[in-house]
Amino acid sequence: MNAAFSKEGSRLLRFAWATLVVAIVAACGLAWGGYWYEQKEKRDGVVSKRLLGEAQARLANAKRERDDLRASSVVFQDLVARGILKEESRLDLFDRLHDLKVRHRLLGLEYEIAPQRPLPLPGGRVFDAVDVLGSRVRVKALALHEGDLLAFLEELSMPPKGFNPVSRCTLRRLEAARDDATVPRVEADCVLEWISLKDKRGSRAN
Amino acid sequence: MASRHLLYLTNENLVSLVARGGRITGRTVFPIPGTVPEDFERHVRGLRTLPTHVITDLAEEDFRVDSIPHLGARDQAAVLGRKLTQLFRNTPYRTALPQGREADGRRDDRVVYTAVTNGEVLRPWVEILEKLQVPLEGIHSSAVFSGRLLAELRQQFAHTLLVTFTPGEAVRQTYFRNKEIKFSRLTPVALEEGETLGSLLAGEVGRTWQYLDTLRYFAPTDRLEVCVLIHPKDRPAIEPVLRDYDQIEYRLLDIEQVAGKIGLKPPPISSSAEGILAHLFLRRPGDNHFASPEIRRFATIRHARIAINSVAAAILATGLGFGAWNLSLALQNRDLDLQTAQRILALNREYDEIQRAMPAQGVAGQTMRDAVAFYAGSLRTYPTIAALLVPVSRILERYPAIRLTQVAWQAVDDDKTLPPLTPTIPRTEPPIRAVAKRAESSAPGVPRGQAEVESPFSTGRHAVAILEATVRVDGLEFRKAIAQVEGLIADIGKLEGYRAGIVDSPLDITPRVAVQGKIGESDPGPSEARFSFKVTRSMEPRT
Repeated sequence: MNAAFSKEGSRLLRFAWATLVVAIVAACGLAWGGYWYEQKEKRDGVVSKRLLGEAQARLANAKRERDDLRASSVVFQDLVARGILKEESRLDLFDRLHDLKVRHRLLGLEYEIAPQRPLPLPGGRVFDAVDVLGSRVRVKALALHEGDLLAFLEELSMPPKGFNPVSRCTLRRLEAARDDATVPRVEADCVLEWISLKDKRGSRAN
Repeated sequence: MASRHLLYLTNENLVSLVARGGRITGRTVFPIPGTVPEDFERHVRGLRTLPTHVITDLAEEDFRVDSIPHLGARDQAAVLGRKLTQLFRNTPYRTALPQGREADGRRDDRVVYTAVTNGEVLRPWVEILEKLQVPLEGIHSSAVFSGRLLAELRQQFAHTLLVTFTPGEAVRQTYFRNKEIKFSRLTPVALEEGETLGSLLAGEVGRTWQYLDTLRYFAPTDRLEVCVLIHPKDRPAIEPVLRDYDQIEYRLLDIEQVAGKIGLKPPPISSSAEGILAHLFLRRPGDNHFASPEIRRFATIRHARIAINSVAAAILATGLGFGAWNLSLALQNRDLDLQTAQRILALNREYDEIQRAMPAQGVAGQTMRDAVAFYAGSLRTYPTIAALLVPVSRILERYPAIRLTQVAWQAVDDDKTLPPLTPTIPRTEPPIRAVAKRAESSAPGVPRGQAEVESPFSTGRHAVAILEATVRVDGLEFRKAIAQVEGLIADIGKLEGYRAGIVDSPLDITPRVAVQGKIGESDPGPSEARFSFKVTRSMEPRT
């Protein structure tokens, strides 16, 4: 084997050695190229899987949102029908209070409507699409019988249009000086919120 | 099977045999006396890349039997080299063949020395091969190699004499003792008048036996088995003459049958053993005998080249294989990626369709969601005062001594809240009553002024109420009055979703408060004792 490493052997084997070098370089190139491509495809695969997961999650959210919206749609239709997105019509409230006073035989009725303001919600909660507005209404009513007052308050808090939840109320028995049907026996002092919503983009449902 | 070039050298001819695929495909004869070296050189130039073997079948081959003390490999090689130099000083074509050890005595190593004693018969041809850088694998003695023929034919005996004919019109006799070559000689076939090939052969064999016998190879009972490789056409001239004796027995080996046994096709057309030996050699080349490493250097370089190229091919194949394996994995991943991309596209299409089909309700979907969320969280279950008081009123009807005077109700998120209430004073106070400390207010809840401060809109998780009432006390019957009040509280607490508790008792009889009594001469009449209690109802559903 010494002949292979002699001067003559080296000369005669130079092409073989060159071939070996080229083969090593080519093999390394092929191996590295294949490995690089495989790794690239693997990385692409990871990205694809992530994108697939995101698309699946987004679709699932959309489906859930669609189902929620379908379920909400009925409620929303009812809310729109009750005018939650309409502006306040204070004249309607005056008429309604008058009607309720007559219907429930109230002996006196005073009310005070505060300016409409953004309704502060627990925890400072705000909504992206709507502003919650409220007008505080203070009602003082006098009646002969507490049943009339309770019926008046019940009907007041559940109007056919809009939402007027009574948040606070004090009922007090009045000591009558004389036994007269025109003298009130009970008094109510209540606070309610007249709530409406406003679309932040300015439009209001009809 | 690789291509090879065999040069079968006799004293008369140099036969060039070119083998491809294990078969001899070309045969060229160069007569020794008449060949111009340039003709041979021209012939070899076209075959210079083939591994080449020179097989000698020369009269100048000499054999010497010897035994040397048993030594280690390096020492043995040194001793054998020295012996060869002593025996065959004038030729570089020499070798020693160790043949094992003696059975007795010092158990010396048996050796046969052999050489082409006249190097000039080889030198011109070897020089041409060197000049053309032909990879000369070895120079092989046909006599030594012919032992393999006997092994192939299972004709190995204790004393065997193989008789073969060479392409140079000569007959070679090679003696094997227990499969080990001991002697060989070449005799020209020069028939005198009246002499036949058979009688020549019988005479030569007889002389050889006598020579071997003088060397004490035979015991009295030993028999020399003479195997003659002969073509059928020469058999009639030989067979009648050859007669067996006690010491000699002839075995004629039909060269066509031998060719059939070793797979040589077509069989030789003469008795010359050249084709048989060459075919055996091609199947498995024999060891080099006479070529020095210097002469074989181009073969060594060729082997190195093959090894380097093999390594290069292996590395390239490994790289290619690894690359291809990765490529296949990558393509699989790519297919999966394409499938994933299609799935993503389908999902996005479905998503877009859902988005397009999403109900708008005249305003954006977000408006609808917010409106419904606000309604569900803050308004849907908002309590009312009537819902709290109506069940309480029904219970109060069972307690005629108790008279409700005031209710402070509030929708709250914290059921610990106390609605503000301003206490009233009964018309006829009882003769005994608790006296509140100055710092303590008898009014529960937050003063009205503080309650008016803007606070967040309650979602109405609870409805709480402070109810103020009076209970009739007949004389000093406070026990009865307190029992009435406690019964009322207990009954309210039994309502589903209700909790009730006393805030102000009709008469606080705990030791921590002061009590005043005012009783005149006459027994006290009926009076009214004030008390208050708290009622809480959770998640009061709105009717």
